[in-house]
Amino acid sequence: MQNIWLYLYFPNLQLDALLQQNPESNIHSQAYVILDEQTNQVCQLNHTAYQAGIRLGMGLGTAAMLKGDLQVIAYQEAITKNRLNDIAQNLYLVTSDICFFNENSLLLRVHNMLNLYGNLTSYWQVVQHQLLQQKVNFHYATGHSPLAAKLLAIRAWDQVTDNVDTIKQAIQNTSLQHTDLTTKAVEKLQRVGVHTIQALLKIPLADVAKRFDIEVATYIGKLTAQITHPVNFFHPKKHFDRVIELLYDIENIQILQAPLNQLLQNLEQFLKARDLLTQTLVFTLSQRDEKMIELNIHSQQGEYLAKYWAVLISLKLENITLSAPVFAIRLVVENSYIRTPDKSDLFAGKQGRLSRLQLISLLQAKLGEDAVSTPTLNNDYRPERAIQNSKRLAKSIQPFQLYALRPSFLLTPPQRLQEKISIAYGPERIETGWWDTKPITRDYFIAFNQLGQWYWVFKTPRGDWYLHGVFS
Amino acid sequence: MHPTISYLKNKNLLWQANHTQSSDNGQHTGFKELDNALQGGFPEYGVIDIRSQIGIGELRLLLPSILTRQQQRQTELITLIAPPMSINSEMLAEFGFTLDQVMVVQPSLNKQVLWSAEQSLKSGCCHSVVLWHVSLSVTQVKRLQLAAEKGNSLLFIIRQPQQEHISLPVTLGIKLSPSKVGINAQITKRKGSWSNAPFNIYMGAYWPELSQSEDNNVLLFPSRAYRAG
Repeated sequence: MQNIWLYLYFPNLQLDALLQQNPESNIHSQAYVILDEQTNQVCQLNHTAYQAGIRLGMGLGTAAMLKGDLQVIAYQEAITKNRLNDIAQNLYLVTSDICFFNENSLLLRVHNMLNLYGNLTSYWQVVQHQLLQQKVNFHYATGHSPLAAKLLAIRAWDQVTDNVDTIKQAIQNTSLQHTDLTTKAVEKLQRVGVHTIQALLKIPLADVAKRFDIEVATYIGKLTAQITHPVNFFHPKKHFDRVIELLYDIENIQILQAPLNQLLQNLEQFLKARDLLTQTLVFTLSQRDEKMIELNIHSQQGEYLAKYWAVLISLKLENITLSAPVFAIRLVVENSYIRTPDKSDLFAGKQGRLSRLQLISLLQAKLGEDAVSTPTLNNDYRPERAIQNSKRLAKSIQPFQLYALRPSFLLTPPQRLQEKISIAYGPERIETGWWDTKPITRDYFIAFNQLGQWYWVFKTPRGDWYLHGVFS
Repeated sequence: MHPTISYLKNKNLLWQANHTQSSDNGQHTGFKELDNALQGGFPEYGVIDIRSQIGIGELRLLLPSILTRQQQRQTELITLIAPPMSINSEMLAEFGFTLDQVMVVQPSLNKQVLWSAEQSLKSGCCHSVVLWHVSLSVTQVKRLQLAAEKGNSLLFIIRQPQQEHISLPVTLGIKLSPSKVGINAQITKRKGSWSNAPFNIYMGAYWPELSQSEDNNVLLFPSRAYRAG
């Protein structure tokens, strides 16, 4: 079986990521370029900018001259890489061997996937469908070596074929400018009259190695698949981690909802494809000239649906204020687990809109984690130690001896008794805790005051009276 | 009968003067005197306004009926919102409640109290909600009524007795005052019925020790055998 490689070249990754956030039409009629600040060259541009005559590698001055209302955005490698990673994650669902060739292209190994898909055409249909969902511009080409596919994709050949002759012919017509050779090497070749690949391939490899740099020889070897090209394949990350760079700085919480929802949609797709659920989302809002805000959103019940998370987020956002505009949002989901279907009884009658875990998450999102608790018991004779309020709805420990006549409310800590009371029942002595730092010796009484309120009071050995509980 | 009228009657939106709640409709409260006064017991869902001082047995009056509701609807929660002091889990466990079916919500802001109550009521996963709150407006009560109807749950609002100025659209209003044995109650408002004279509810069956006997020298023996529940 012959080797076939598919090369995908994404010329405008950062720009696509930005424009994707705002699908309104006026943005597409506006000329946008991404400027590499180190070289001061245009490195990405949209169609409107292209029509105005702006080309890749142009300086900022020239570009601004060609189009007055040009929008310029600084190149950020991190965004491009992140976006490429997302694309690779999505492609991984349909194809196995993916390699990051450089920061804006992917290489797919096709020949071992053909057993699954039957032929190249049906394989390409599936891959193309995945790519179109991503809403990015791309160029593609197949080749019998990684470098051949790359060469054709960069010159926007945009064809998928496994015909050796067609590919060979296409390569031979390619100018040396598109190759990976250094400008110095290209100049050297041009000086001896070699302008296309065809001319270069005519020279025997041994002669090339003798007359030019060794890198030219290696390149030719790799291009023609005489030397194997080592590639590292991509292994998808287990967790979801995505950053979106906002087109405009956002100061208003309400406007922030839209990009957050976009992230949640991405998350939903990610989790749904893997049949996973998660309980915690971590949002990081990067503020200009201010500290980043980290938002932790918990759900007691695992969820993947964007609309469910959106409710929790809007509750959480009510409690925060932005001190500076937000320019980027990152969403990280570390832990997720396989979804198990809810086993609910079809005949159970009325069923609630929310499950109890959903209700708890809802309350916790608005009121804070500490506001919602469940009472639990601790095996201790000291009343204040017997009760505990746990944050999680945990199952209580095994039962132990409970004592009758306990008040419904406890004062923490007990307060000095201030009023006149009549004793109705008692005493009940509790003397315990001699083994640790808080021993108690108390005589408890049930008493009532003049208003008829029922108290739980105790007397210490020193004769002090305290109010500890109320029989409500 | 006109079809619209029968439709409204079927939807339980129309009330006729000769109609009083049938006794089997309500849920027994666990106290004979209260059951008699309510002709059955507490309603299945709705808002019950209880005006009482703290510590005279107002929560104990509710516990038997809440426990019955929990036994009927075992997967659902009891929500206690904004209790004035910390809830003693030992008492709840001793009375027979499963503690992991109890949720205590303690909002830090006053306005969040009603929000939590509404969410819990309409969620459909809380059969009873007990709320300690100070003041309520008519619109707030209406909202809570709708939420309770949606989630088929019962809301008990426990308030101090002095905040009484307007008639709230609650399902049931009870005014409680201390008594030597048990608690004194007066039904102040009830859907489809007139208010009765105050009456005493005897709680000695559950809590024999919490009674002001005339002769304080006689101490009742704290035995579980006394208890009906």
